[in-house]
Amino acid sequence: MNITEIKSELIGDSYFKINHPSGLTIYVYPKEGYKSSYAIFGTKYGSINTCFSVDEGEKITVPDGIAHYLEHKLFESEDGDAFVRYAKTGANANAYTSFEKTCYLFSCTDKFDESLEILLDFVQEPYFTAQTVAKEQGIIGQEIKMYDDSPDWRVMFNMLGGMYKNHPVKIDIAGTVESIAQITAEKLYEIYNVFYNLNNMVLCVSGNVTVEQVIKTADKMLKTSEKHEITNYFKDEPYEICEPYVEQNFPVSMPLFNLGFKERADEILNVEKLAQTDILLSMIASQTSTLYRSLMDANLINSTFSYELFEGPGYCSVIFGGESRAPKQAAEMIKQYVCKIKADGLEKSDFEIAQKAVYGDIVSSLNSVNSISNTIADYHFCGNELFSYIDAVSKTTFDDVSKRLSEMLDVNNCTLSVVKQAENEV
Amino acid sequence: MNFINRYEIADGVFFSSIKDSRFKTMKISANIIVPLSEETASANALLCGVLSRSCKAYPDFTQLSKKLSSLYGADLDASIRKAGDCQLLSISASGLDDRYAFSGESIARELSLLLCSVIFEPNLNDSAFIESEVEQERRQLLDLIDSEFNDKRIYANGQLIKYMCADEVFGMKRYGTADKIKEITPASLYKTWQNLLKTATFEIMYIGDSSSEKAKEVFSNAFSNVERAPSEIKTEVVRRAEDVKHISEEMELSQSKLVMGFRTGVAIPDKEVNATRLMCAILGGTANSKLFCNVREKQSLCYYCASRYDRQKGILTVDSGVEGENIEKAEEGILKEIEDMKNGVITDFEIEATKMAVVNSFYTTNDTVSGIETWYASQLFDGSFKTIEELSAKINAVSREDIIKAAQKLTLDTVYVLKNK
Repeated sequence: MNITEIKSELIGDSYFKINHPSGLTIYVYPKEGYKSSYAIFGTKYGSINTCFSVDEGEKITVPDGIAHYLEHKLFESEDGDAFVRYAKTGANANAYTSFEKTCYLFSCTDKFDESLEILLDFVQEPYFTAQTVAKEQGIIGQEIKMYDDSPDWRVMFNMLGGMYKNHPVKIDIAGTVESIAQITAEKLYEIYNVFYNLNNMVLCVSGNVTVEQVIKTADKMLKTSEKHEITNYFKDEPYEICEPYVEQNFPVSMPLFNLGFKERADEILNVEKLAQTDILLSMIASQTSTLYRSLMDANLINSTFSYELFEGPGYCSVIFGGESRAPKQAAEMIKQYVCKIKADGLEKSDFEIAQKAVYGDIVSSLNSVNSISNTIADYHFCGNELFSYIDAVSKTTFDDVSKRLSEMLDVNNCTLSVVKQAENEV
Repeated sequence: MNFINRYEIADGVFFSSIKDSRFKTMKISANIIVPLSEETASANALLCGVLSRSCKAYPDFTQLSKKLSSLYGADLDASIRKAGDCQLLSISASGLDDRYAFSGESIARELSLLLCSVIFEPNLNDSAFIESEVEQERRQLLDLIDSEFNDKRIYANGQLIKYMCADEVFGMKRYGTADKIKEITPASLYKTWQNLLKTATFEIMYIGDSSSEKAKEVFSNAFSNVERAPSEIKTEVVRRAEDVKHISEEMELSQSKLVMGFRTGVAIPDKEVNATRLMCAILGGTANSKLFCNVREKQSLCYYCASRYDRQKGILTVDSGVEGENIEKAEEGILKEIEDMKNGVITDFEIEATKMAVVNSFYTTNDTVSGIETWYASQLFDGSFKTIEELSAKINAVSREDIIKAAQKLTLDTVYVLKNK
């Protein structure tokens, strides 16, 4: 077993990476003085993995929403529900499915070893029957409908639909009532056996724990997985967006918008590019920025305004969004500002402030056992590492960021999505 | 659990500090408590926004934001909420601990000074606030009111309280009404500010590794020039519901929302509060609760069905998102679980597991700066501050009989349905 200590000279913290013989990669980040711990057990399998092959075998296509459905069903085993088992340890357990991963997690302040055993056990023990699978249709059906009524959710997916022609990132994570109707116990076993292979998974633990403690439970519970080659297929995605504008009418009093710049997504960004992008976006759109001020002064945004880099396998975009009574004007002002800085260049003083702000945010996030484990898992699945990112932030120069700007934010390749009340209802 | 040091630094002004070296950040917050009223709520809410966006030294939003960013992305946040029949305005500053500054500057000291200046040295034009600053915050507050309609779960819960507490001051919104917000002028807001400094109860909290002495001194000095006459803080508790009100609205939605409001007959400072709290958690507070296991898992009626207890008002609410045709079934299912609890159908396992989950959630809060702040801030109205150990012992001491008795006191007051067309 190979154990590596990963240390940050900059902030003085360290954590451990363990290549467990079962095939699982484990990270342990002990937090001195903490009473709570947080563990996350995840697989690199999310809503976008709808077409794949194993060991160069035939291509398999599965229904939309199946990764999320599997997440719900994995909590059940032959002798009951994982929540009932956690009830005996007092842990607070949950799970989520995103575009590119599915994660099972718990936080606790007592009986950590027992809770970790439960986590490792139920995720490795699938149990699906026709009856239990059918029962979930009602629950997930209501989850889908809840999201259908969420303007924040709709404005984002409508934007993704306008931006991406083929990439499955535009499909709702939970699928549709129709697509989940095709899910069977057999199909769940089929994807489980492919993606819930320990070589495709990660375990991240932080808080009141030691490396020895985690390894002991891992040794006891993990069942060695044989490594397979999983290939995910995504149809070719053009560089160009499909629709520059999409709109949906909805019972809302405050209209919402998302403006997405479609970026090249040939490869996942490394920590240097990530750091440059985060600093650049902070310079452009944080509360300190000239753009934010102009949008506010023109009454085009309010404090819900936000921005993010939205990236994963085969997709990458920069999204600006929030509430606005005049979304088209807000989008226009953002685009004009981007054109202006591309022509005139960035301000050095803005760079210095943004660098400190981005550094402060990531260091602050290391207070929380939840964000530590989640971030390490995210970085692991992208082939990146947390402390190298923090180093990269501190080492990024003004010229790096200026160069980064020239590679991204093409104002001729963005989609504006708006959710607002129908005109005649106002 | 950390020890809280609490001093009264002026009449009705308290400074509390909690020293903790485990974190990479510190936080200082001013919790400003005033009676909730139709007359003043809107102006107080607007004032809270205006104060937190600029001050004399940093006279506009951009300059203040730049100052915060240069302090390693520090934050200055303002929030408004209802706490029983009180309005709780909170302005807080948080940032990296001094240990992580690149060149040895004291971030904690600067943030304490900054928080004090936004409260005591706002950007003024004689005896009025700056018009453009007021207009900007007014617009945003009006936006906030409209945006609460966007999220239908929040909207439905708000509607329940509006109808259930129509005859109580608690029935109003935390920021008053749009009409009142529109009436405020830069000069009237100045009076609101003066009045707030005089009559509000202030609870200032400092959490961090660096010394809080400087912050305490800064606030003590600031208040030494203020004439103080704190208002009385109290909450009206309706102990029983007489008739059940049914309210229904229709909208173009995919899912219907069902919200039920109960009177629990128990509110702080009653000693039965912890039994009611546990009863609520057994009913619908965890993934092992009766509502989760039965209404969601067994009956497959919904994705969420949860209960919440407001110990200041003595109100328990249950909310769920269901198919239009299943509203009645869900309502019956919820009432059946409550009936079961009243009849003592509660297993030892349910009680023990819920106690463990509640205590676990207490301890988890102790591992974040904001969690520690929330822990103490949530007890501001309890009459005393309890550590996690103390409150956990109280929760663990609740008996089965106490829980059944708490359930038996529940009376259904209002059922609100937002139905999909």
